[in-house]
Amino acid sequence: MSTTFLPCGVYHENYAQDHAWFQTNLIKGKMILLFVLLYVVIPWTADVYWISVMNQVGYTIMGALGVQLLIGYCGQLTLGHAAFIAVGAYTSTLLILEFPWPQFLLDLGLAYPISIVVAAVVAGIWSVLFGLPSARVKGFYLILTTMAAQFITVDFLITQYISQIGGRGQAFSLPTGTIKIGPWTIDSDVKVYYMILTFVVLCIAAVANLIRSRVGRAWIAIRDNDISAEVMGINLVQYKLMAFFVAGFIGGIAGACWISNLAAISPEHFPWFWSLWLVGVILIGGVGSIHGTVFGALFMVVVMELLQMAVMPLSDAYPKLLMDFLFIKESAFGLSICLFLLFEPNGLAYRWWQIKNYFNLWPFSY
Amino acid sequence: MDLFLMTIATGLMVGGIYALVALGWVLIYKCSGVLNLAMGEMTLIGAYTSLSFYSMGVPFLASLLISLIIGFILGILTERIFLDRLIGEPVLSVIMVTVGLSFFFKGIVELIWGTDTRVFDPPVFSMEPIKFGPIVVGQVYVWSFIAAMILLVIFVSFFKYTQWGLSMQATADDEMAALSVGVSARFVYAAAWAIAFMAAGVGGTLLGNINGLNISVGYLGLLVLPAVVLGGLNSVPGAIVGGLIIGVLQNLTGAYLDKYFPGGVKEIAPFVFMAVFLLFKPHGLWGWERIERV
Repeated sequence: MSTTFLPCGVYHENYAQDHAWFQTNLIKGKMILLFVLLYVVIPWTADVYWISVMNQVGYTIMGALGVQLLIGYCGQLTLGHAAFIAVGAYTSTLLILEFPWPQFLLDLGLAYPISIVVAAVVAGIWSVLFGLPSARVKGFYLILTTMAAQFITVDFLITQYISQIGGRGQAFSLPTGTIKIGPWTIDSDVKVYYMILTFVVLCIAAVANLIRSRVGRAWIAIRDNDISAEVMGINLVQYKLMAFFVAGFIGGIAGACWISNLAAISPEHFPWFWSLWLVGVILIGGVGSIHGTVFGALFMVVVMELLQMAVMPLSDAYPKLLMDFLFIKESAFGLSICLFLLFEPNGLAYRWWQIKNYFNLWPFSY
Repeated sequence: MDLFLMTIATGLMVGGIYALVALGWVLIYKCSGVLNLAMGEMTLIGAYTSLSFYSMGVPFLASLLISLIIGFILGILTERIFLDRLIGEPVLSVIMVTVGLSFFFKGIVELIWGTDTRVFDPPVFSMEPIKFGPIVVGQVYVWSFIAAMILLVIFVSFFKYTQWGLSMQATADDEMAALSVGVSARFVYAAAWAIAFMAAGVGGTLLGNINGLNISVGYLGLLVLPAVVLGGLNSVPGAIVGGLIIGVLQNLTGAYLDKYFPGGVKEIAPFVFMAVFLLFKPHGLWGWERIERV
């Protein structure tokens, strides 16, 4: 079933039409407007602060997209996704800093793009490695093994061993100018914005296309009922591992992109909290919907910024409040997850669908 | 050899505390099917409450009692407000509500008590170590172990011999049958949370006596997971044995493997062990084996 409402008199005659991206000219127009808004209006009008907030939103979207794929589409619960983002970020950083690049690649500015691809593949393979237990266990036990992925990768391997490479100790610093794509050096927030935005669009397009292909239908079948999926001839292990690979791949891209926004990377950027945060994002946005991921990321990042703005003026009266803001944020995050699960279990995507239908059917909403 | 024996002894004694907290976890899972990831923050709340009262000059046992009472009230409130509506929801929702709760509790604990390490001052147990033949153990470990064991015996006999405990066992065994003979399932759920909160508080207080109290004591809540997985999720003796084994394992790796893998091997070993164990025996030592193909 297509989830879009079509105007009177427009009918689909085949399956391909039913799953087309732009089913009417109105939708196409809205999407073009959205493109113009994202690529032209926002970077030209918004100030640096909001651009950096948008960068965070983009990073969160890419991270949460992999979680959405695993939890929302393939039904494989994961609480360790930050590990794969970390693998991507560290692979890319190490390649840029330590790999002996030939001079012509550096001149062409291809080092960073190549490192992003390698980082994505490495993160995908790492993710498959920790997805292997999904062949034998599911539900809560799978959560435990993915948690183990987080602790083994970030808290042990990266903190203890990877961070020692090059004798830097804790953090890898990325001097400005090291990160170049082609002729452009990524050194300002707006450039990071364009880069992250492009990758977000590509990732969303890729996932949306995967979901409406044979692979995506197999994942959804596994999520809905794994036994009947197997009876229908789906190779469970193969498709589950494929889901882990794609999720890790996108996580790797997210991590590799994010290093352009950081002056230095250290294991503290990828705590267990971040894995849980990503799951919280898809729960608030809506499990099993791609635009839910976007809504969730927007909601979590922007609401937290607004909360910070609301707290700031009070800090003159209560200076302690500024220090405690981190804790308030943590509490608010926890409480909002609880409240969403209790009172809005379908997430923001469902609300959006309802609002859209109200206007589509207006004035005769029956 | 002495080092080996001493490591085992210390491990067993810390493991007693883990066993206590694991018992609370298993209780919630057995009675209501909730997989609780907020256990660590529950230990923090209990531990900080008793520490606050103790530093105000209340005797240690009395402040422990106060923290038990507060844990009881908070446990019932948590169950009534958050978990009661989630009965029968998918496993991800339930787990994420407990994750949300854990962040909520943690934020509040940090707001109230800050993040600095605090110690029980003056120390509750004397610093003089106790000698059993060649083995030398700190007194605080011995007393913690004894306290944990006493509480374990109290809890287990509570399930075996009192009416409330029996009704909890009945609900865990078969909820429908228990409902039909007049056991109130809602009461059982609330009681399970209350007891778990109390056990977690005592565990946190004892651990706080050993190393001082800060946010990282909440790590105990994650350490419980390998223990219960090892014992089988719904087995009370399994939780106790699992807690003891994890305590020993942690201390052994800390003593012997730290040379080869410097740094956090002690913290990570239980989880590595758990991941490997899950591959071979996912139902634990005494857990119910539900036969299903994945």
